[in-house]
Amino acid sequence: MIGAGVVGASCALALTNAGLRVLIIDRGPVASGTSGAGEGNILVSDKEPSPELTLALRSRNAWFEVNDDIGGGFELDGKGGVVISRSESGIANLRKLSKAQRENGIDAQEVNAAELKKLEPHISPTIEYGVYYPQDAQCQPMLAAAQMIRAVKKRGGKFIQGENVIAINSNNGEVTGITTNKNSYSSPIVLNATGTWAGDIAKLAGSYLPIAPRRGFILVTVPAPELIFHKVYDADYVANIASGAAELQSSAVVEGTASGTILIGASRERVGFKSEFEIPILRQLARQAISVFPILKELQLLRAYRGFRPYAPDHLPVIGEDGNIAGLWHAAGHEGAGIVLAPATAELITAQITGKNPFMDPTPFSPKRFMNQDPIAGGHIAS
Amino acid sequence: MATLLAKPSASITFTFNGELISAVPGQSVGAAILETGARTLRVTRFENKPRGMFCGIGVCFDCLVVIDGVPNQRACLIEVRDGMKVNTQVGGAWSK
Amino acid sequence: MKIVVVGGGPAGLSAALNAALSGASVLIIDSNANLGGQYWRHLPASWSGQSELHLDLDSGLLLISSVISHPKIEIWNDAQIWNATHENGVTTLRVITSGVEKTVLSKTLILATGAYDRSLPFPGWDIPGVMTPGGAQSLLKGQGIAAGKKVVVAGTGPFLLPVAAGLAQFGCDVIELLEANSPLRWFKSLPTLISNLSKIGEASHYLSKFKKFGVKPKFKQTVVAAHADTNGVLVAVSIANIDSNFNIKKIRKVNCDLAAIGWGFTADTSLAGALSLKQIVTKDEGVAVWVDENQQSSIKGIFAAGEITGIGGSELSIAEGVIAGLAAAEFAGFKTKISNDHKKVRNRKRKFASALINSYPVKSGWQNWLSEETIICRCEEVKYSKLKFAVTELGATDSRTAKLLSRCGMGMCQGRICGRSVVDLVANEIGISPSDISDKERISVGNRPIITPISIELLANGE
Repeated sequence: MIGAGVVGASCALALTNAGLRVLIIDRGPVASGTSGAGEGNILVSDKEPSPELTLALRSRNAWFEVNDDIGGGFELDGKGGVVISRSESGIANLRKLSKAQRENGIDAQEVNAAELKKLEPHISPTIEYGVYYPQDAQCQPMLAAAQMIRAVKKRGGKFIQGENVIAINSNNGEVTGITTNKNSYSSPIVLNATGTWAGDIAKLAGSYLPIAPRRGFILVTVPAPELIFHKVYDADYVANIASGAAELQSSAVVEGTASGTILIGASRERVGFKSEFEIPILRQLARQAISVFPILKELQLLRAYRGFRPYAPDHLPVIGEDGNIAGLWHAAGHEGAGIVLAPATAELITAQITGKNPFMDPTPFSPKRFMNQDPIAGGHIAS
Repeated sequence: MATLLAKPSASITFTFNGELISAVPGQSVGAAILETGARTLRVTRFENKPRGMFCGIGVCFDCLVVIDGVPNQRACLIEVRDGMKVNTQVGGAWSK
Repeated sequence: MKIVVVGGGPAGLSAALNAALSGASVLIIDSNANLGGQYWRHLPASWSGQSELHLDLDSGLLLISSVISHPKIEIWNDAQIWNATHENGVTTLRVITSGVEKTVLSKTLILATGAYDRSLPFPGWDIPGVMTPGGAQSLLKGQGIAAGKKVVVAGTGPFLLPVAAGLAQFGCDVIELLEANSPLRWFKSLPTLISNLSKIGEASHYLSKFKKFGVKPKFKQTVVAAHADTNGVLVAVSIANIDSNFNIKKIRKVNCDLAAIGWGFTADTSLAGALSLKQIVTKDEGVAVWVDENQQSSIKGIFAAGEITGIGGSELSIAEGVIAGLAAAEFAGFKTKISNDHKKVRNRKRKFASALINSYPVKSGWQNWLSEETIICRCEEVKYSKLKFAVTELGATDSRTAKLLSRCGMGMCQGRICGRSVVDLVANEIGISPSDISDKERISVGNRPIITPISIELLANGE
């Protein structure tokens, strides 16, 4: 297993529970990639009818099973989500989307201004329409990855950090193991769960995964518990995810955390791995958040962080066996849904590796869909 | 509490948890409160523990009080003003 | 564009005045209501007469009034920088002052952001009544009040002396003055001591005060626990005889209502980190901004002076400030001369500072004072057991990961108080000795892109 983020940890746990022995390798500490820079979203509310929605529905429930299995410890909270809109077209789209979601098994309840105020006492009175999604949840993703790896270690697995994979070894089209800057490890199964860097790892095996970074910023406020009770966001968020545009897409996303701080997102841009803090973007996030929750004006920004979501150009994650090398598997490219989709990703991978029936048809996620595409330098789409 | 004799008269009045306190212009809220013998400025949000002034220079953020309804004010940095309403901050900014 | 000086203490004031005397226009940005920094904290102007508790205050007040009255120096008090960036030779400072946000651009910057007391966690250190020596001192010098009646002063370093003397002179009963290190450590740096004879004069000034007020300094002893009464405020401390590694040999308990405890200083390097200046680890395992002979940092046009280039006291700060001010003025195109004398004074003071650090080390035995329940991160109330769990069970092998998994350093102070301790504790848990802790690990603790909290409203309204 290359990658000790939430997806890697979930896969390692599922494979361990299926009886395999797993060695996790990461060039850094647990959750040192995108998993350490997110909000811990476990959402079904932002999924349009698609294979991703099916994956998300199963995965959301799987999180609670994982929680029971490993004894919690990552602040899993089935708090529910509220999506709002204020424009006529936005409301119409949200109405349409929630109807389609209901037809696909998502619990989506339309709410009016009075009901909104009951759900969120501090929500702006200018908001009169929303949809409540009781299935939405949240966790602390770094703790989730760390706790899952802890369980993996207790059940016979191993975690080595601080080693860079420099080669994926194979013989006659079958994977035989990996080589790092320090050691070589042999195994008939290698899983690439390196998120935003999965394209680089795939390249080592001569394969092509067009996974590219999509930068996002998050604001963290001073601790202000009991102010915001659900994950609340503007319906524009869904459009932002689906957009292929490179320039800034942003919409209000606000939620509390178990520790009391409030997280404010969300922005998406294609700027490669540019890591500087862009003050204008932080300001825009603040403006959007205040528009939904005016009371936020009175809190302070305590810190901000940024991360690079891994996305594939067709906005579907990559889950499945490599097209060139048997035994090499990929579980990466989940964009902003890595946390919610992790356990179900793990189930799909485990089922396929152990020859069991996966709970859904994994074909839409197969890495083979990128075969025969022109490789672009670096395995990343130029931004 | 011993005080320096060179002080001007305590011409400012403010309240701390409803109790009237006299203070000298230029004094910090924290100093004025400490002078009355009170030590506890806030109560922590997880363990309900009392906290007072620790670093005294605005670095530790332990001396947080609510001033005129606004939380997270560092008592060691804010100067007293006539009519100020200061309260113990209980928990985070908006904890019940 | 003006020369911007950040920090109005001894270093910043010296820099600003010398830059202005060379012809430059200067803006001082200071976070306090009054100039003087920590060292020259004084009573508000509205009070008649100043406290006589301060040895050097007269020279400080003189420098302050020179700066205030200089026509080329603009001063912003109560101003805090929340973010800073540097691009193409220009530094952008985003400042919060009087409830509004202001942006300052400058091609020439002098950082003199000073330092604050270094604290070590111990059982009960979060009880109201436990303070830093700087806290007790700022209340005394800046507010004219003593934070307690029965006082224990402890920790290490010469700073304990003026704090104890000040409190005693004020009328407090300083029942204990405890220096953790042995006085014999001074003999290691005898030549330096001799070449800084004024310091001996200073020390004897304090000793005579102690004699007058019945304060008896004790060595190789320290506070290892604090105890609360039923109201949760300080009522007693446990004092231990310690060996040269700070391990406890014997414990006794004394009643007190104020414990002022400090372990040297930590430089305030947030702004330097935000600007990505090169930083180094100093002999006291602290972090400092690297500067060349002219106080120029790793970025042309950004200078640094005072405690942030290495803890060394007020005289070194002033000497560095003079050079930084002159060098900055020269960089900005004004004719100045940095004389060899300037550098000689600075270098001599630096040697003394270095000897000081050797005499007042903080030894790792302090980690043995902790119990599972001891709070390590005050802001987030993180207990030692939770920090250890992040390492032993959740696999953290560096302080950043341990921070993200335990919440140490994620509270309001953003690790200013607990950061250094967390680095030591995490290394200890992994089995790395203090001398093997990487520079990168130590330096990363002080890096905060958001330097001070800014209201969401101001953030939203700004440009």
